[in-house]
Amino acid sequence: MQTWSTKSSALQKSPPSPKPSPTIWEAAMYQQSRNAPGLPWLKNYEFPYTFPAPWGSCTVCMTSVAGHLNSQDFDPRFRSWQSCNPGELFDAPIVTYVDKDKTAIAKNIEQQARYATALFIWTDCDREGEHIGTEIRDIALAVNARLDVRRARFSNIERAHVIQAARNPIPLDERQANAVSARIELDLRIGASFTRMQTLSLKPMVEHLQELKVISYGSCQFPTLGFVVERYFRVKNFVPETFWSIKVMHRQDDIDVKFTWRRNHLFDRMAVVILYERCLVAKAAKVVKMQKKPTRKWKPLPLTTVELQKMGSRYLRMDSQRVMKIAEDLYTKGWISYPRTETDQFDKGMDLRALVSKQTPSQAWGAFASNLLAGAFNAPRAGRNNDKAHPPIHPVNFVAPTALTDEERRVYEFVVRRFLACCSEDAQGESTTVEILYGAETFHTHGLIVLARNYLDVYPYDKWESSQQLPAFHMSEVFVPTEAKMTEGQTSPPGYLTEPELIGLMDANGIGTDATMAEHIAKIKERSYVETRSRSGRTNATDDADTSNAAARGGRGGRGGRGRGRGASTTTAGRPSTASNSTMQEFIPTTLGVALVEGYDALGFEPSLSKPFLRKEMERAMKAICAGSTTRREVVQQSLEQYREVFARTTVRIEVLKASFRKYVLGQNG
Amino acid sequence: MATSTLPTQLSAQLTTHLTSNSLPPAPAWLSKFLAATRPSTPLPALQRTALFRLLASDITTSLSATSSHVLPADIHSAQIRERLVEGPVVVQVLDIEDVGRSCWSQVEAIEAGERGETTRGREVIRVVPSEDGEDPSSTSTSVASASLSSGPHKLLLQDARGTRVFGLEISAVDKIGLGMDIGAKLVLRGVLVARGCLLLEPKSVKVLGGKVEAWHSAWKEGRKEVLMEKARMGERV
Repeated sequence: MQTWSTKSSALQKSPPSPKPSPTIWEAAMYQQSRNAPGLPWLKNYEFPYTFPAPWGSCTVCMTSVAGHLNSQDFDPRFRSWQSCNPGELFDAPIVTYVDKDKTAIAKNIEQQARYATALFIWTDCDREGEHIGTEIRDIALAVNARLDVRRARFSNIERAHVIQAARNPIPLDERQANAVSARIELDLRIGASFTRMQTLSLKPMVEHLQELKVISYGSCQFPTLGFVVERYFRVKNFVPETFWSIKVMHRQDDIDVKFTWRRNHLFDRMAVVILYERCLVAKAAKVVKMQKKPTRKWKPLPLTTVELQKMGSRYLRMDSQRVMKIAEDLYTKGWISYPRTETDQFDKGMDLRALVSKQTPSQAWGAFASNLLAGAFNAPRAGRNNDKAHPPIHPVNFVAPTALTDEERRVYEFVVRRFLACCSEDAQGESTTVEILYGAETFHTHGLIVLARNYLDVYPYDKWESSQQLPAFHMSEVFVPTEAKMTEGQTSPPGYLTEPELIGLMDANGIGTDATMAEHIAKIKERSYVETRSRSGRTNATDDADTSNAAARGGRGGRGGRGRGRGASTTTAGRPSTASNSTMQEFIPTTLGVALVEGYDALGFEPSLSKPFLRKEMERAMKAICAGSTTRREVVQQSLEQYREVFARTTVRIEVLKASFRKYVLGQNG
Repeated sequence: MATSTLPTQLSAQLTTHLTSNSLPPAPAWLSKFLAATRPSTPLPALQRTALFRLLASDITTSLSATSSHVLPADIHSAQIRERLVEGPVVVQVLDIEDVGRSCWSQVEAIEAGERGETTRGREVIRVVPSEDGEDPSSTSTSVASASLSSGPHKLLLQDARGTRVFGLEISAVDKIGLGMDIGAKLVLRGVLVARGCLLLEPKSVKVLGGKVEAWHSAWKEGRKEVLMEKARMGERV
């Protein structure tokens, strides 16, 4: 009996990458390969394997695909832009075909399937993977209707896990595949109709100013642009305001201690004057809280794609798309694991120590890795996400820095340092909080002593440093503060949107997936909807939620107490080749981008196409298809109805969009 | 058959009852109130109705301005660093603002509410009007105002004699916030006054509630405009 199996390359989510590298079975066993005809990288691996009944002992042929095999487009009659009214694309027939660059793959599947008894699908266990699985199945069944079709359920490529999956095949999940096919149809119809309509009616207006291929619409592109425009207007419309505060300073044991007002600052001068006077009249302040407790700065979570992209633009001086390109290269060369993953927890079965030991030859972090193996190893924290397809991004092998390009080196170094940090221990410290009551107002000061840097030694992207030493205060101690001042300040506008912020917004609002976010961002740049420039000087002024308040975070967990401070750090891990004060890119919409978003907002649809809500609804609908509570037909019909309505009203009131173009792009009034 | 009570007797009974609730009615208001009620109404119902009407009224006409129930005449004196007003004094809320947040950030929150959005962390959430046909703008503003009213709050208050004075919430008082109604009545007992500003604390303030509908809707209507203007002025008065 011959079992014929296929898997998708793990690269299936990234169409531009032509070379899927062997992952699943290759990691599990050694086998012979034969080139398949047509494509240099397409290989068929043959080896014997014994499955449980009914398959039993088989000759397995393993091959791969590279993402979706099928493409969809409108019937040729509708393909030319002049062929029809764009609105007809909501109903125009769609043809599904195998794209030119995929025919060799499809032929190979047909050839192998003809004489096989079973088809075992190893595509990723996510919606896209399920859909690709059905494409493979349909091609195979067309030439051999008697095939027994199964798929493997797996979440990583650890050897034991792969074997377990090989022994327990399950049926393909039609619902997940249907959800994807609904999404594909909707994206095609909605994208094409709006893009043609916008381009045909708006491009002529601005053609004399700038060269544009199309004025495209995409259900992810537009909300992405919407975020950029919204922030732009927040910056532009911002009104600075004055606030007042009270600052208390006390000199004790030759140390100047600054106390912060619990109210921070108020926007009413009279209120602050009154409260300030009441402090002064009270003369003395009393210590009402004096707390020392162990604290820690948590080591980072295992690395996901979204996090890699955010960190890339923050610390590695490249944009998200560039980071992903480099990460894919590193993956193809076998240095790091698959870089498209939502998983932030390592599977229990993974031998992390073995991965750590591969890093010992490094000049920069080898000593740190050795130290982990000598006993400092700590199991990584587990996040809440598991895409059941890929492990967190981690180094697979050690590569000497000289063998890499400068950009590759930066990304590789980050992935390794992040991984070693995950396998290390939280940084430990002791925090002190002193609170005083001065008049009726409360002021406080914090102190931090870092006792053991632990993971920080290998992970310079995080900062956690000891503060100034606090003098000894005692509970109920009364003192007259050396100085109390009323101060004045002004609010400042937020910065333009940075790439990490934009990715964070897209992630939180369900715009795109980890695999496509960078593409959407690149798309709105390519379409001249936004421009980027370096934010000079200040770095991440508005998005520091992750790194600030380290002391507070540590305290909250109540995980203190087991601190066994290793004293000063024993291992140093060298300087990273990254500039921590690197400049970040910020996004500013072009007049074209502003005109589109403002135009659609002015049309007054609820909700506007520039908002994330419609896309979010589509995502919800796809989940409902997967859960079986609705069908592909119903979702497609309903969504098309909704967008058809928006489309119709947009065409009727196209003057509103044109007015927005006149106002913002042409600089005319009205 | 209800026991017939003489009008003067009834008016005295009601006055006693309302005064014990710190709301001594003005004789003119009371006789007008009584003239509009049926004489057969039982006393407890009358008492409840009178109290409700008072809370919805403008106290400068509805309450008697006896000196023990109003603020001292020199309340605004900036010379006096601190004094105690024993009260009880009834005041009504004419305006309220959150001085812990910039006006502009409140304008932004109101505008997000107008667009039917609110945010949870980085996630933009759409405020969908509830099924029972409730006015969507009221739901969204209540969501927005609840999340942005962190205080401390500064209130413009008015007593029965019409004296207006600022009150500053120096420690959080339950029911004081941007969600409260304009025209709501407060009773002040043993309240500290510093440089002409009342210092509001839980121990000196009791919120009776109430609302003057016309004032409240005007306030709500004009709030965004007022905040924008204040922000642009650079300093609040």
